[in-house]
Amino acid sequence: MTVTDVLVCALGAVSLGAAIRVVTTNQIVRAGLWLVVALGALAGVYLVLTAELLAWVQVLIYVGAVVVLMLFAVMLTRAPIGRSDDLDRPRLPAILVGGGAGLGLAAVLADAYRWSYIGLSGVEPGNAEALGREVFTGWALPFEVLSVLLLAALVGAIAISRPEVGERREES
Amino acid sequence: MNDIQLPPIDYAALLPMLIVFGLACVGILAEAFVPRKHRFAVQATLTLAALIAGLVTVIINRDLEVTTIGGAVTIDGAGLFLQGIILVLGIVAFGLIAERRLERGGAFVANAAHAADSDGDKKQLNEAGATEIFPLTLFAIAGMMLFCVSGDLLTMFVALEVFSLPLYLMCGLARRRRLLSQESALKYFLLGAFASAFFLYGVALIYGYAGSVQLVAIKQSVLDSDKSGVLLAAGLALLAIGLLFKAAAVPFHVWTPDVYQGAPTPITALMAACVKAAAFGGLLRVFNVAFETTSWDWRPVITAVAMATMIVGSILAVTQTDIKRLLAYSSIANAGYLLVGVVSLGGAVGSSMFYLVAYGFSVLAAFGMVTLVRDADGEATHLSRWAGLGKGSPLFSAMFTIIMLGFAGIPLTSGFSSKFALFSSAWDANQSALVIVGVLSSVVLAFPYLKVVVLLWLNPPGDETPTVSVPGYLTRAVVGVGVLATIVLGVAPSWLLDMVNSAGTFLAK
Amino acid sequence: MDSITYADATGALSSMWLLVAIPAVSAAVLLLLGKRADKWGHWLGVAAVLAAFGLAVTYFFQLKGLDNRSAALNLFEFIHIGGLEVNVGLLFDPLTAVFVLLITGVGFLIHVYAVGYMSHDPGRRRFFAYFNLFVAAMLLLVLGDNYVMLYAGWEGVGLASYLLISFWYERPAAATAGKKAFLINRVGDVGFALAIFLMFATFGTTDYAKVFNGVLESEAGQTVSAGVLLALGLLLLLGACGKSGQFPLQTWLPDAMEGPTPVSALIHAATMVTAGVYMIARSATIFNANETAQTVVVSIGALTLLIGCIIGCAKDGIKRVLAYSTVSQIGYMFLAVGLGGGAYALGIIHLLAHGFFKAGLFLGAGSVMHGMKDQEDIRRYGGLWKHMKITWATFGLGWLAIIGMFPFSGFFTKDPIILSAFNREGWTGWLYGGAALLGAGLTAFYMTRLFVLTFHGKPRWEMEKHGDHHADGDEAHHAGIKQTADGRDIQHPHESPLIMTIPLIVLALGSVFAGYLMSTSVVDWLTPVLGDAPEEHGRLSHGTVTVLTLGVVVIGAAIAFLLFRNGTELVERPARTHIVRAARNNLYADRFNELVFELPGRLLTRALVWVDNRGVDGIVNGLAAAFGGGSGRLRRLQTGYVRTYALSILSGAVLVVAALLAVRLG
Repeated sequence: MTVTDVLVCALGAVSLGAAIRVVTTNQIVRAGLWLVVALGALAGVYLVLTAELLAWVQVLIYVGAVVVLMLFAVMLTRAPIGRSDDLDRPRLPAILVGGGAGLGLAAVLADAYRWSYIGLSGVEPGNAEALGREVFTGWALPFEVLSVLLLAALVGAIAISRPEVGERREES
Repeated sequence: MNDIQLPPIDYAALLPMLIVFGLACVGILAEAFVPRKHRFAVQATLTLAALIAGLVTVIINRDLEVTTIGGAVTIDGAGLFLQGIILVLGIVAFGLIAERRLERGGAFVANAAHAADSDGDKKQLNEAGATEIFPLTLFAIAGMMLFCVSGDLLTMFVALEVFSLPLYLMCGLARRRRLLSQESALKYFLLGAFASAFFLYGVALIYGYAGSVQLVAIKQSVLDSDKSGVLLAAGLALLAIGLLFKAAAVPFHVWTPDVYQGAPTPITALMAACVKAAAFGGLLRVFNVAFETTSWDWRPVITAVAMATMIVGSILAVTQTDIKRLLAYSSIANAGYLLVGVVSLGGAVGSSMFYLVAYGFSVLAAFGMVTLVRDADGEATHLSRWAGLGKGSPLFSAMFTIIMLGFAGIPLTSGFSSKFALFSSAWDANQSALVIVGVLSSVVLAFPYLKVVVLLWLNPPGDETPTVSVPGYLTRAVVGVGVLATIVLGVAPSWLLDMVNSAGTFLAK
Repeated sequence: MDSITYADATGALSSMWLLVAIPAVSAAVLLLLGKRADKWGHWLGVAAVLAAFGLAVTYFFQLKGLDNRSAALNLFEFIHIGGLEVNVGLLFDPLTAVFVLLITGVGFLIHVYAVGYMSHDPGRRRFFAYFNLFVAAMLLLVLGDNYVMLYAGWEGVGLASYLLISFWYERPAAATAGKKAFLINRVGDVGFALAIFLMFATFGTTDYAKVFNGVLESEAGQTVSAGVLLALGLLLLLGACGKSGQFPLQTWLPDAMEGPTPVSALIHAATMVTAGVYMIARSATIFNANETAQTVVVSIGALTLLIGCIIGCAKDGIKRVLAYSTVSQIGYMFLAVGLGGGAYALGIIHLLAHGFFKAGLFLGAGSVMHGMKDQEDIRRYGGLWKHMKITWATFGLGWLAIIGMFPFSGFFTKDPIILSAFNREGWTGWLYGGAALLGAGLTAFYMTRLFVLTFHGKPRWEMEKHGDHHADGDEAHHAGIKQTADGRDIQHPHESPLIMTIPLIVLALGSVFAGYLMSTSVVDWLTPVLGDAPEEHGRLSHGTVTVLTLGVVVIGAAIAFLLFRNGTELVERPARTHIVRAARNNLYADRFNELVFELPGRLLTRALVWVDNRGVDGIVNGLAAAFGGGSGRLRRLQTGYVRTYALSILSGAVLVVAALLAVRLG
């Protein structure tokens, strides 16, 4: 067992534990903060696997943007910051189904790969250059279409959220 | 850095999608620069022009068979036909979306951000609706077109998101019953994102198995991969779940009734007709191209899903009392029939596409007519309110009756010819069990439809029977086209069947 | 048999699509014009059927002049997919011809009758629209040249029948009966639809000619397994049983009498319910090829004819008794077509004769009810012959015809069936013959009971002297001469107007002479379609059976006459024996259906609704909000939680993944 293995396992355990806390805590802000831990640990896993760009993107987007956005949303919608009893605790069927699905898939994957070993030495590091090359050669179309998706999302976001035109003038 | 080279791109093959995407972007610019007064006219014209131009280019491309842009897009006969279906149905649905005569300002709200029933919300009841729906519709339709011709799973996923996102948004823009509409948008969005996650997970597992996400490469890898087949099976299952969600198959159908009910009716129509075509286009392509050789693995499962979908959809349709929910459950049952076509693979591709056309036209007309029955609160969708409409509005009722008979699969309507063609090809593909369940379920499903017919003609009108609005020419055109298609495809469907059969199948090279 | 070919239609016959088109167009006009057509709509409906009848007669004579005795008209390609090719094509051959004449001829008379019968109904125009729709669909049914066309007509008549049974929607019984007819018919339709797919899978076509030739070839070369032919026959039979009210799907037919009487006469006695017989006769080749299927048809026929008779004896509603007698008479027809060979034609002529006398009986019943303020209970009739002489006379002729009295039409058509049943090979001949003979006796009993209780004996309606029956007496007295809305008073029965009695007279003439006229000519006429009647050398001679049958009939009628000539009690007597109780409960057929079909269906629905509960809860809440009208209530609206939905999706996902893995690993 190399250092890499140990690191991956440890980070994985952290991620899993944090994820469980996300769904079990009954304080919504804490759930968001646990999410930071879970996603951050996942970024660590990527880093260990030499996917450095992916790791930083993970930190930037998920930890930096998404979770912050979620916390903002929580605060802006005046949701209770502290303990809230009506926050739905996972019930038995949910635990069964969710846990079963997770464990089942884990078992499937473990079974599929067994103890096959893929050395990292021969693998091209997942840095920006490699990713950029991929994106602009093989995946040019999905990449471009993604920009359309973002545009659509932007327009949609404006459409559903913009204040009434002229409203501000009335108020002031 | 000089070694970056774009893969060869066949622009002619992409042209239909480029036109629709491009004009959608122009539409956004128009939103910004055209004065408010003219915006609606400009946007509507632009949208219609984009759809028609897309259709024309699809027709020009009809004999094209090419894989381009690094395998991301596969243009083939079936794909082009599906694109054509989506565009044609999109043009018809456009008529409902652009209708502004039934209700001042159209079916959409101007500012969705107002809390339901707040003062601002009440004030905007008579304001002109948002015109952003037009570029959003175009984005959605372009995404569906791309979805049907994706050559790899990643492109497919992006296309899935491109057409889903605008729909999530548009669901929340209904002018009346704001809360229901917002709720449906949120539900659709959350569950859609959930389903997308399944899809992505599946893609990842399949990549783990095949080392590629290209459909053709996956097919090849089945023959020579050294990885565990478990990966493939699990990946396939998760992928299928993502797709079945969009297709509203049981048990991934739960969102359908709520969303169909809450969304603005024109958007519901768009979902029922175009999204169904796109989702099944994708399903047909994935199963026919990538997984055809593994059909022994997935056939039993998808067969079970198809049976469950047919049975649950048809039986629950019987208990519905709201016309939009009734149509939602019927769309679930119809998804089951289409799954029969998916399970039957190659031989049934043509009849599945025919079914999509036939169903699409009927369902557009049905929702078009739902928008016409109104009272002071907007659309009166509860069935009890429809009682006795035949007395005051015989033409409307006659047309709705034709559509209902079509859904019920009564001969000489498109519902019969499409079901007959589909079940025949399924029987040909040795799927007799599915056909038996299909026939049984369509027998059950006929009941709620005929109940509506009896309600229209035979029941006495209630005290507060809503009026049937005089439709604007757009809705009139939609309903007319839909009813006409229901009859023509029922009485003389052979020309279209010839067309779907000569359109060819999916390119699996 | 040689291979079957149909000659192309030439001359006037190439316009035979008009037969379907004329009533269909008329129905569309009546429906679409709405109130504007209220004044003259019924006459348009009558004229459409008359025109169709005229055409039918023309075509009939055309056909007579043709050598091949068949005319096929291919209109256009309907569905062409893969190996399947279905055309919209019509076929006019002797079998079709007699049906077309029956449908348009009797249909015309009943349309005329309905003008009078429905004269007070505000929905008369709508009624005629549906009626014309029915005629169009029925003609399509018999004119199609392949099974898909037959199915198209089949569904069309089912739809029209559903609409017409529910016509008086304000009566809950009518709505329920319509629903029941629809559901039970759908059970049969499933069989038919599956038969079509099986046919397509086996022969690659659904055209009559090709399917029959395929069956004939397979008989020669054993290319199609007997199991497939048996399945095909049984599936077709299931369809036929549904449409024709045969065991075990007979329960909808008596309930269907909730519709207006002309509907009962045309659809549920003369034409639509005989579609099953038509289908079996048309598919003679298929049934001939498989003896087991034939045996099942015969058994169902024999069983149903007895069921119909037994229940018919226990019923008191005039239309109910007639309905069960229809069930029983169709049982005779099934028995005949199941016997195969020469008996096919016997089944058809009994069908035609039945079309006349049963339509006449129903219209007579309608006339009685018309004069008795819609009273249906025969225990509250009696002595009516004095008041409605024409109805009495025509009903009497129909009665003599149905019990098979010499020389009325039933005698010439029912006796040969009983004879053929006796002459079936093996011991089963005694069984089926005995059943048919017993049925004849029972028919005589309950029909005589009906006739005597209705028209003879002491009037029992006069005993009803409640104060609230105070109607405008003066006008009622004149009602026998004049037709007015208010003339209908239970205490003053009167003859129906001419427009209703003339069809009665024509149909009565038919029930007198039709049997004799058809007994040889029609059998010969049908030979090209149904094959030659082989010379029969049975165990019983024709004379013996005739004597036996007449004897049984006379005994049955005499017993009924003696029992009921003095009328009967007004209330139902307590049932002393099991058989009476069972008969009054329709031999528990409804309960059987409830247990076999309805209960599982209901449980399944309930289970599904429970599973889908959130959604359904949503509707209920949504309704409350929608009806409250106030948008404020919408706030409370909650149509199921997203998390519940997500959980159900996830559970489904787990199931699908697990199943796929199981398949993969298993």
